[in-house]
Amino acid sequence: MSSPVEPANDTHATSGTGRSVRFRVSRFKQGDRKPHYQEYAVEVAPETTVLDALTAIRRDQDPTLILRHSCYHASCGTCGMRVNDTEVLACVTEVTELGGGPVKVDPIANQRLVADLVTDMVDFYDKFTAVDQPLVRGSDAIPAATVPPGVPGFTRFENCIECGLCLSACPIVATDPRYLGPAGLAAAQRVLEEPREADAFSVLRLTDDPQAAWRCHLAFECTAVCPSNVDPAGAIMFLRRRLASDRVKSIFGSGWRP
Amino acid sequence: MSERATGAGPGLDFRARGERVSPRRRGAWGWVDVRGRRLGQWAFILNRLTGLGLLVYLFLHLGVLSMLAVGPGAWDGFVSTALTPAFLALDVVLIFGLLFHGLNGLRITLVGLGLVVNRQQALFVALMVFGAIALLIAGLRIFAVG
Amino acid sequence: MRERAVDPETGRSAWKGGREAERPAWGWILQAVTGVLVLILITVHMVANHFIVSRGLRDYRDVIAYLSNPIVMVWELVFLIVVTWHGLLGLRAVLFDFGFSPRTERRITRLLSVVGVAAVAYGMWLTAVIVSRG
Repeated sequence: MSSPVEPANDTHATSGTGRSVRFRVSRFKQGDRKPHYQEYAVEVAPETTVLDALTAIRRDQDPTLILRHSCYHASCGTCGMRVNDTEVLACVTEVTELGGGPVKVDPIANQRLVADLVTDMVDFYDKFTAVDQPLVRGSDAIPAATVPPGVPGFTRFENCIECGLCLSACPIVATDPRYLGPAGLAAAQRVLEEPREADAFSVLRLTDDPQAAWRCHLAFECTAVCPSNVDPAGAIMFLRRRLASDRVKSIFGSGWRP
Repeated sequence: MSERATGAGPGLDFRARGERVSPRRRGAWGWVDVRGRRLGQWAFILNRLTGLGLLVYLFLHLGVLSMLAVGPGAWDGFVSTALTPAFLALDVVLIFGLLFHGLNGLRITLVGLGLVVNRQQALFVALMVFGAIALLIAGLRIFAVG
Repeated sequence: MRERAVDPETGRSAWKGGREAERPAWGWILQAVTGVLVLILITVHMVANHFIVSRGLRDYRDVIAYLSNPIVMVWELVFLIVVTWHGLLGLRAVLFDFGFSPRTERRITRLLSVVGVAAVAYGMWLTAVIVSRG
């Protein structure tokens, strides 16, 4: 039985293309003192992604390479990693876009390393669930779509895909575990935007904390790396505007007093 | 939680072993490592470095002013030293620090209060262009007096 | 007390906030307010002491005459207070980013307060000495 895609037409191919790219992949197993790099050569086609290449390494060269992925189309957020020192989703990062040099692949930073490219997301969810679960919002992803009669508009689940790239890119998360962090604060801002059943007041109070909205130092790196346009830094600044104006109002006797 | 996606046996369950959650933070290296980062990280670390530098300068400056308490000879001697080209070059470094920290600080104050959030990068670039022009003028003036 | 999500299995509260919730964020707001004040104060300081002065620095006699002007004296002392405050608050913010224990953080705050008060006291003493020579 032939493969569903002829090798010559497979734009994601990892063999038979003649163009070889070196990968320096971070390796770590439980018990290791610290990670080290291991090099692999992978042949790439014009649209081979980093995830294609890593799965090819695992399949053809080294079955001990541990990585995590699911959907292959930037929806699930599980293949977040650092490629050439920038946080990306490996499934939508094409190798040919990275220049000709060796491709450095690390797990996302500031999380507990489980093995190779896999980190434990427990810290992420600890912060994320501190606020409230995210809600739904109007979709601006497909403006051309026709809305069926009787439906006010399409909605999609909250933009955040919980990949953890923002925590990896944030300089403050790099040193201080107490900071609530970009993802959690962006979720808080969503609750305030669209409270539904949630208690927006207590969420706002939660963010008015030296370890929450006021801890951000405006590097905006979370927003720069976010693959889903959540704009966590912008969300934090809007939280602060709300908190600052409430503070000013409380001076004049109206609004919320802390 | 016991069936976490890590597929962990008891040996991998770091919580059961009483380990802390996140032992692999990048540390202060995460502040200064600008590889792969955008403009925001540069602004962040330069703001920190210029701020710390200016704080050191503040105390040096206060120390130098004690020569005024010593007397006219000490102070006027210092003034002629301060007009040597090496000192004037340091003055340009100082003015750079003041301009960067001051103008970026203006951005941090505005954006940090939720104003011009969506145009914050353009604001940064505009302030830096203004700062570069001011630095050029100040530098020319400093070396013109020297 | 604020509500926090609790992990149903571990019974652990998800996120522990800072310790200053009753006085939230005074550090950042003071930093911003003193920062804006420093911008104004330092601009005048630089122009008056360096940019309109021939050779860029006042000589001894000139410094005494300049500082003896009460408006100038108050301006420079206010500048000293505000800029010291701003600088030490900034150092405090950098140090606090290391995630020390609350006890260490309180010590840092106390130590930096002492440094700030000492610097301002020194500045006032120096001003008094200089003006008395006039």
